[in-house]
Amino acid sequence: MNNKYLSVSAITRYLKAKFDSDDNLRVVFLKGEISNIKYHTTGHIYFSIKDETSKINAIMFASNAKKLLFKPVDGSKVLVTGRISVYEATGGYQIYVDEMLEDGIGNLYIAFEKLKQDLAKEGLFDQKYKKQIPKIPNRVGVVTASTGAAIKDILSTIKRRYPICEVILFPSLVQGENAKDDIVKNIKLAENYNLDVLIVGRGGGSIEDLWPFNEEIVARAIFDCTIPVISAVGHEIDFTIADYVSDMRAPTPTGAAEMAVPNISDLINTINNLKIRLNEGINKKINYQKLYLDSIKNSYAIKNPLIMYENKKQKLDILIDNLNKVLLKKYDKAKHKFEILKSNYILNNPNLLYKDKIVKLDTLIEKLELINPLGVLKRGYSLTYIDNKVVKDVKEIKEGSNLLIKLHNGQINTTVVDVKEN
Amino acid sequence: MAKEKTFEEKLKELETIVNELESGEIDLDSSIEKYTSAMKLVKECDEKLKNVEEQVNKIVTENGSLEDFEVE
Repeated sequence: MNNKYLSVSAITRYLKAKFDSDDNLRVVFLKGEISNIKYHTTGHIYFSIKDETSKINAIMFASNAKKLLFKPVDGSKVLVTGRISVYEATGGYQIYVDEMLEDGIGNLYIAFEKLKQDLAKEGLFDQKYKKQIPKIPNRVGVVTASTGAAIKDILSTIKRRYPICEVILFPSLVQGENAKDDIVKNIKLAENYNLDVLIVGRGGGSIEDLWPFNEEIVARAIFDCTIPVISAVGHEIDFTIADYVSDMRAPTPTGAAEMAVPNISDLINTINNLKIRLNEGINKKINYQKLYLDSIKNSYAIKNPLIMYENKKQKLDILIDNLNKVLLKKYDKAKHKFEILKSNYILNNPNLLYKDKIVKLDTLIEKLELINPLGVLKRGYSLTYIDNKVVKDVKEIKEGSNLLIKLHNGQINTTVVDVKEN
Repeated sequence: MAKEKTFEEKLKELETIVNELESGEIDLDSSIEKYTSAMKLVKECDEKLKNVEEQVNKIVTENGSLEDFEVE
């Protein structure tokens, strides 16, 4: 029966789930006034945001609080972005703030972003338009207020670093409604003073104080200026449109002065070093040439011309000797070959060359004798011819044929009386 | 008449000559010639840095003229 009673944590978890599943509460834009602000040592900020009738608790974690561009205090009018959820330990709902801007400033910020985008699109910030800041200027112009920290810092920095530089101040309003026109007027005026570089800026202040340097006409005047411009507005963290459009942005007025002029002692050192290198360079050259000349003077040829000649002569003698030797050797070789030929056995006994042949010839003659058919005739055989051809077949002969019978020592003409075949 | 060279131009010229001399690639006659003109540049630069009086700051007045200016 206790089952219908929920625990506190159960109902809290349920409510938290409700909040977290609501899309409208995930990203909330809220405006109001800060009260009860507490900066915790962890870096988290706890506060409330209220208007005339309502109040909501808020927490900004250290990771987001780090990115704040201002220090919120009780009473600050703010614009916040965050999500709304339930903190279970207290059962209270609260806004977890991601971003917080000062109200009013918020509008300025939007205007700033828009102008920045427009001018960027138009190309006013392009690197290709940036003019080189001369390293060693003769005349530096400054557009800023004639009183205050900025001009003081600039002048003392230039005096310290490069006292031989001329500085011309173009006193200008740097805050308030009329400042932008005054700044533009002075930038244009500066063109007439043969300046090498122009510093445009002011000291630190609130975003409203710096606002003239976010004005479009100021940006365009800087862009159109033919003198290289260094911008120096506020502190390191302050970025203005003037900074984007200028040829170089300095973090502070002092920084601008450091960029505008060199350090005179550095220059003196540079020149001294160059002087030393110049002397070393020329001495090296002269010494080198002297050594070279000495080496020529001391050279073997100049000092001992006769020895050079002797050397050549000696070489010639050696060559002649060599030539003789070579010729003699060739002659000896030819002579030796001749001697060998002269003593050749065959040449001395030419009959040896044909003695053999004679024996061979005799043998051949004997063999020929053996097969000579006339030899056979001697032994009583004869040859029978008809019409000058030897008769080999009895069929070639008829009764009455005239035959010639050859014997070894004569021949008989005869007529056939009878023919009988075997 | 040509405009007088700026300090920066003189310094650059000086550096070029020193580098040439150090390379040892130019003959003795032109080395000496270059050395002489470089020493003249050194003298001019030295004088510019050491002998020029400290400049007085100027402020542009309403009518565009320049007046001495001392920041207080």
